[in-house]
Amino acid sequence: MISATDLRLTFGKGTPLENPALRGMSLTVNQGEFVTVIGSNGAGKSTFLNALAGEVMVDSGQIIVDNLDVTRLPTHKRAARVARVFQDPLAGTCENLSIEENLALAIKRGQSRGLTSAVKKQYLGQFRESLATLKLGLENRLGDKMGLLSGGQRQAVSLLMASLTPSSILLLDEHTAALDPKTANFVLELTQQIIEEQKLTALMVTHSMKQALEVGSRTVMLHQGQVVFDIAGKDRDGLEVKDLLGLFEKQRGLEVDDDSLLLG
Amino acid sequence: MLSDIAFYGALETGLIYGLVAFGIYLSFRVLDFPDLTVDGSFPLGAAVAAMLIIEGWNPWLATGCAVLAGMAAGAVTAILNVKLNILNLLASILTMIALYSVNLRIMGRPNVALLTEETVLTPWYDLGLAFHQVPVLLFTLVAIVSLILLWRFMKSETGLAMRATGANARMARAQGIATGGMIILGVALSNGLVGLAGALFAQSQGAADVTMGVGVIVIGLASLIGGEAVITPSTVVRALLACVVGAIIYRLAIAFALNADILGLQAQDLNLITAVLVTLAIVLPGVRTKIAGRFTSKKA
Repeated sequence: MISATDLRLTFGKGTPLENPALRGMSLTVNQGEFVTVIGSNGAGKSTFLNALAGEVMVDSGQIIVDNLDVTRLPTHKRAARVARVFQDPLAGTCENLSIEENLALAIKRGQSRGLTSAVKKQYLGQFRESLATLKLGLENRLGDKMGLLSGGQRQAVSLLMASLTPSSILLLDEHTAALDPKTANFVLELTQQIIEEQKLTALMVTHSMKQALEVGSRTVMLHQGQVVFDIAGKDRDGLEVKDLLGLFEKQRGLEVDDDSLLLG
Repeated sequence: MLSDIAFYGALETGLIYGLVAFGIYLSFRVLDFPDLTVDGSFPLGAAVAAMLIIEGWNPWLATGCAVLAGMAAGAVTAILNVKLNILNLLASILTMIALYSVNLRIMGRPNVALLTEETVLTPWYDLGLAFHQVPVLLFTLVAIVSLILLWRFMKSETGLAMRATGANARMARAQGIATGGMIILGVALSNGLVGLAGALFAQSQGAADVTMGVGVIVIGLASLIGGEAVITPSTVVRALLACVVGAIIYRLAIAFALNADILGLQAQDLNLITAVLVTLAIVLPGVRTKIAGRFTSKKA
């Protein structure tokens, strides 16, 4: 279980560019939930994800991951509990390392690393098996450099890497946004499949309201660094984008004028 | 052409600079950390080894201490960068400058002679080889052992974590790698290798000198880039081989240039030749692909 309580974070404090990104953001994600997060530009989606991952430290508030207070822990000390797929397909993998080396890095996520060989024989079977589920033929290219793969293929491998070892939460930061529509669809389906099969707890940020409603079991909308609404179960079933917009306006009593919310 | 002595001399220094190139490969290529500490850690290794040998220490033990001293110097640079957030290049320049004083302190004077002392080379002279072949034999062994150890390390879990740190730090952190610690370890290892090179250089040349580090970074880079032009560094083992081969080619080229009477070059032209060779090493790979493109049919 993940619980974030009253997170506050202001960038550039005391400067003319002062930007409060999180203003009392609270969210609890239960075991096995797949939450989609939407919000306009600057709503604090990415900052929230970065705060959960440890890439930015919040000014105040508390983050608890499976009964451990991680609020002040740096990224690498949270990695055993928090898995992540980035928006940029190039960011989640190392292009000058081979596919098997990338997977070998991921299989030790959050564990201590010693002087034994990184790519162990006993891993190879598992690597091939999981790569085969992608149906991209990568299981026969273990030794190939990651840089030889397309953006979509790399994003698919990033997903595999994130799910290779158990985690308390999987963070997906608009991980299909940089892909062409067909590839984005493939990666999204793969995401759902992996999350369902492994019963993962996941938090997916997306720009598309449609995607937010079609995927996952709960949808949260952020606005100005806070949760404006949180919808799950029966209330969420059959909900459409226009209903969501209506809900948002009702909640906030203001007009949504950001086109990006309607896209997709 | 080269005399026997000039040829073996070039091999000898080439093998030593191969160790420097290993170190520079670690910092510049693996960690993407431009580290100039080597100009200070090379004479540091020489100074530590020389003083301990004069004190009567076992020369291998003295050489081991030189490695540790080099590692400490590298760790200082990396800590300045990681913990105090000083720009990596500047951090290394600060350590390098500080080491000049440290080296003078260690030796107590600008240079120390080792000609009459027992060095790591002494026992090998009993093998019956020619005088100028002995260092080549020993340093070849040292280079091979270092290469194998480094290669195994790079393939280990920690080594892979280090490579990921240099290639994609954000991804490395997300995988639970303490990137700061990796940088400290890597730059320390790199300078440990350079300290080893300095210690061996002092013992083969018969002296340690406080100015012997000037330009070591350029020679190491020349070896690295030159080697990469000859052997494409597509795997770790090829990259390491490129370091040694590059350093030997570099020293042979220097020896040839200085010995070819037609060119009329003298010892003081060394730095000019180095600059020309580095330029060629950087430019040539591009020229090679251009020529290859002209003479081979293009495949889609």
